Amino acid sequence: MLKKLNNLGFVIGIFFSIIALILIIGGLLSESLSTRLNFYTGFVFLVFGVLMASFSKDGSPREETKRPE
Amino acid sequence: MNLHLADYLIIIVYFLFVIGVGFIIKKRIKSSNDFLTSGRNIPLWITSLAFISANLGAQEVLGMVASGAKYGIMTVHFYWMGAIFAMVFLGVFMMPFYYGSRARSVPEYLKLRFDEKTRGLNAVSFAVMTVFSSGISLYALAKLLEVILHWNFDLSIWLAAGIVMIYTFLGGLTSAVYNEVLQFFLIVLGLSPLVIVALHDAGGWSNIKTLLQPQLTHAWKYMGHADSNPMGINFMSLIFGLGFVMSFGYWCTDFLVVQRAMMAKNMNAAQRTPILAAVPKMLMPLIVVLPGVIAIALMQPALASKGFVIPSDSKGGIDYTMTLPSLISHYYPTGLLGVGITALIASFMSGMAGNVTAFNSVFTFDIYQSYFIKNRSDRHYLIVGKMVTVAGILFSIVTAYIAKGFNNINDFLQLVFSFVNGPLFATFLLGMFWKRTTGHGAFWGLLTGTIAAALTHGLTVAEGKGGWIFPLFEIHSGMGQAFIVAGVSWVANFCTTILVSLMTKPKPESELKGLVYSLTEKPTYHQNKWYLKVIPLGLILIAITIILNIIFF
Repeated sequence: MLKKLNNLGFVIGIFFSIIALILIIGGLLSESLSTRLNFYTGFVFLVFGVLMASFSKDGSPREETKRPE
Repeated sequence: MNLHLADYLIIIVYFLFVIGVGFIIKKRIKSSNDFLTSGRNIPLWITSLAFISANLGAQEVLGMVASGAKYGIMTVHFYWMGAIFAMVFLGVFMMPFYYGSRARSVPEYLKLRFDEKTRGLNAVSFAVMTVFSSGISLYALAKLLEVILHWNFDLSIWLAAGIVMIYTFLGGLTSAVYNEVLQFFLIVLGLSPLVIVALHDAGGWSNIKTLLQPQLTHAWKYMGHADSNPMGINFMSLIFGLGFVMSFGYWCTDFLVVQRAMMAKNMNAAQRTPILAAVPKMLMPLIVVLPGVIAIALMQPALASKGFVIPSDSKGGIDYTMTLPSLISHYYPTGLLGVGITALIASFMSGMAGNVTAFNSVFTFDIYQSYFIKNRSDRHYLIVGKMVTVAGILFSIVTAYIAKGFNNINDFLQLVFSFVNGPLFATFLLGMFWKRTTGHGAFWGLLTGTIAAALTHGLTVAEGKGGWIFPLFEIHSGMGQAFIVAGVSWVANFCTTILVSLMTKPKPESELKGLVYSLTEKPTYHQNKWYLKVIPLGLILIAITIILNIIFF
């Protein structure tokens, strides 16, 4: 888990998942119709966040510096 | 506009993440190159998104939405005419020199290609520009938060500057770039629901076209004469001023953006960075121009029932700068409001961090190491780089307070930037493609171009600005004046560089290998697969850009 924090895609995924949860929970707790927008956006953020965290390749720099070809 | 718990929670989560990224990256910083240049080992998708994010600061987001409201769909010229072609040119023709020369910065390339004085002139002007840009970004953020959220101006300045300082001090360029990518997604995903909801509320694009004057919904149709379009410029000024001089001058020579491509792992990735970045850049008008056009449509009498208004400025006209905050306030409920505000804060911080990291690289390598303390240990330059980062942030704070005290300083600084940036592309174009260009030619060309820009501005007047020498010519719009100033400065630099070069002795060819097009072996490493070849990719992008221009003609 800690090693995955070096992966930028994973970090971005976690960030959007947390924001999504705030929006979705806020949307569910409120009865206002306008907060449906929160719910839908939160759902899209959650899908993006989960996909980003799950499928992103390691974006961390390697130890060695590659020479230009 | 009032924020609630969920909104504050989202802002706090964002702040924690950007600082957290700094702490994660800190472990990897072992040398000055790691801190100031990222050690040239950042993956392509990150360099590409960072390349575009470096240009997704406050002026981009707030300014382009405002321009969309003021000038309509013509604002897309800043993307389709003013960015894509230059980005493709940078990837195909110029990156091989920047990357292949192993220069750590654009001024260092100038030293390799020309001489020390040309590098010094560029390094000092660039360092001053970046630190002032960073300060203006900070001022604009604090001012916006004061106006729309009634936050304390001083607190906003110190909080935003403090957070940027923490993550850039800890992780240097890599940390700034990683946060730029996070900020890119936040800005795009955070503002997308706004576009969808507002567009739906306005009755869709077809309804907007019927409600607005045709000049606001066509990109080219009314550009035959300066009087017939809201920008007040004709198509020739646009193509030469924006499409060539300003666009290529910015995208191909500004170290702030070029630095992102120079971080790539290899030449192939460095060349593809601006080309891949051109794809989201092409689509960016959906996020930053369309909302402005929608906002003006929503203010038409037929949609008055929607209740949307953009506040007035002190002169009673529409305060276009407030277009995006007004849309966010009107459409976003608690929660999403926090996302929208965080996206705005992210754009300001992204702009500031980009400037500070470019400043510390140029100052450390091109000024401190070149003119003050040479041949010290790498650890020495790492410490200096970190100290310069702190100094850059403190200078930015000072600039922000100066901007607060003098209303016109923003306009003045933007003007000075255009004087310096406008002619620069002529120096690079001649330097890279004409081996006869000399260091003396480049230096005097740059100086002459800058002076020509100042003289042109002093002799022309537009919307009450300029004409400080003598108001000899009147120009319809400030934007048209900027294009003409840039065009004149470019021609002056181009001609002077050629003339002085012909009268002075060029460098021997053996010293120009890898720095000049005709003396450099063309890369052949990505000839197998079409999607790795930069020329086919560039041609596809240009074809799509032309099609988009035709659709919105």
